Amino acid sequence: MYTKTILICDDDEGILEMLAIILEGSGYTIIPVQNSLNIYETIEREHPDLLLLDLWMPVLSGDQVLRSLRNNPQTHELPVIVISASRDGQKIAEEAGATEFMSKPFDLDFLLQRIHQYLN
Amino acid sequence: MNSLQNGAFDLSNETTREDFNLLLKALDASISGIILTDNRLPDNPIIYCNKAFEIITGYDRSEIIGHNCRFLQKEDRDQKERAILRDAIKNGKNCVVDIRNYKKDGTFFYNELFMSPIKDENGKVNYFIGVQNDVSLRKKAEQDLRKQQELMEKRVAERTQSLKENEDYLASIVQTVRESLIVLNPEFKVLSVNDHFLKTFKVTTEDTEGRLLYELGNGQWNIPALKELLESILPTNNPVEEFEVEHDFPYIGKKLMILNAHRIELEGQYKDRILIAIEDITDRREIERRKDDFLSIASHELKTPLTTIKGLVQIMQRMVPPGLDEKFSSVLDKTGVYVDRLNNLIAELLDVSRIQTGNIELHKDLFDFDKAVHEAVETIQVATKSHQIKISGSTNENVSADESHIVQVINNLLSNAIKYAPDHKEIDVYLSRVSNFVKLSVKDRGMGIRVEDHKKIFDRFYRVGDIQQRFPGMGIGLYICDQIIKNHGGTLWVESELGQGSVFSFTLPLNKHAA
Ligand SMILES: Cc1cc2nc3c(=O)[nH]c(=O)nc-3n(C[C@H](O)[C@H](O)[C@H](O)COP(=O)(O)O)c2cc1C
Repeated sequence: MYTKTILICDDDEGILEMLAIILEGSGYTIIPVQNSLNIYETIEREHPDLLLLDLWMPVLSGDQVLRSLRNNPQTHELPVIVISASRDGQKIAEEAGATEFMSKPFDLDFLLQRIHQYLN
Repeated sequence: MNSLQNGAFDLSNETTREDFNLLLKALDASISGIILTDNRLPDNPIIYCNKAFEIITGYDRSEIIGHNCRFLQKEDRDQKERAILRDAIKNGKNCVVDIRNYKKDGTFFYNELFMSPIKDENGKVNYFIGVQNDVSLRKKAEQDLRKQQELMEKRVAERTQSLKENEDYLASIVQTVRESLIVLNPEFKVLSVNDHFLKTFKVTTEDTEGRLLYELGNGQWNIPALKELLESILPTNNPVEEFEVEHDFPYIGKKLMILNAHRIELEGQYKDRILIAIEDITDRREIERRKDDFLSIASHELKTPLTTIKGLVQIMQRMVPPGLDEKFSSVLDKTGVYVDRLNNLIAELLDVSRIQTGNIELHKDLFDFDKAVHEAVETIQVATKSHQIKISGSTNENVSADESHIVQVINNLLSNAIKYAPDHKEIDVYLSRVSNFVKLSVKDRGMGIRVEDHKKIFDRFYRVGDIQQRFPGMGIGLYICDQIIKNHGGTLWVESELGQGSVFSFTLPLNKHAA
């Protein structure tokens, strides 16, 4: 059976691990990416169904990533949930074209519910 | 008095006994204490005292005969009069001292002591006579008078001094304040500037005083905002306060300044002069900005691991196998609650910093007030099993405000209502429209707040006395709420009495023309 793939991009290892546990437990395939520089190539290769994206990351920030994804016809429609602990995150995320914004720390149930919604 | 003949005593036997008794009676009638000591005996003991001495000191003669007189000093031995007495005794001289003495019952009195040697024909001192008077009242009056005089003298001196120094003083203040000051005549010609001005703007007195403000330093003060201020606002007799100007100066670069300007309204030679105070806040702003940045980064960094912890706790909650001890899940639930609390604290920290520096950012949007309130209440109700929150009334209005901040205020009021009324299950939320405002009230039936504390609870870091001990953690929440509501042009207040529950209300203005 084909399982949906979620790419998680966050520079914090703890978050990656935690999200992997819960999302794998919910039956998704998880691809964690800690260095945002690798994200395009990973997307190219894996074709994820949804992206969980952090905002504040070294070198290449989440909104930069998001903007170039939105400019690319192949990823133009990709559901992207931006998660950030930054106060101004919501505004930045919306302007960059996020499908949804969630501030850290988020509620797992809520996150799962939204993911299910986007993937079905 | 038969033995007294032409000023000399006739000591023939018949007269002496009678006269002796008469003299003793006279001594006892004296209001001064009188004693005799025998200097030939060791330690100069008392051999006689009259009635008045007994009355003044409160001792009976039987208790003191044979003692040295120093017992009257009790423990108060550290007085210079003591040395004077000792000297006089050693040298067989007279002396008068006011010495601090104590009666038998311990009462203090000032003893005016006259002491004098009684010498034999060879000049040898055999006896001393002491005459004592209780002069406490006089002494006190003297002391009071002296104090009064000193005070008067001091005042006069101060007054003279201050008058004399007044001018120097004012001048030196003007020179030392860490603010730049300029005095202009009504035609904007510079009359004087202080040192700080010279230093800050790197100019000399010569190229400043006597010249037109706008022409100083190649027109570097020809700042449109300043011109506007001086030429249109000041003449209306309104002082200009806290006027912020940013200007790029040659040599010293970009400066952020606060200007206060005043027109002097005194009649006479100073009339219509203009006083301008300039505070350079470039550095302060920079520091504030860095503090904000620091707190932003710190709170971001703190929230990241917190997110992981919160997630992991939630994962554990899902993994609890059925049939496991209740305690286990209750511990997990509590962990979740405290993680949330920590998260709130971190957010508040940042809020306070931003409010203090006036950097609270409002993203105003038009939203359905009633709907937002219902949603906020629902969210809290889901997480709160202990209390019933009931909403009544409605505003049927859209307000232009920062929704997330307003929701933050509602959440804060609700969680306080829950936290501070642990034994009373009902909380009422009431919505209404009052004139051109919407109003929301949160009513609890909890412990209430004393009237004296109604204003204080909105202070930063204030917590109501003993409530703090029983219900810690009200912290800075209300301060932040108050600031948020104020920034929206509304008010937040409380109505409450001790033991009668509290009603917290806020209003928000309806702006019909907005958006
Ligand atoms: C006649 C006479 C009367 C004295 N009366 C007093 C007195 O009323 N109160 C007192 O404090 N000392 C009085 N003195 C002084 C003390 O007896 C003593 O000489 C003084 O304290 C200094 O000595 P000292 O340092 O050994 O105490 C009197 C001394 C003499 C000789």
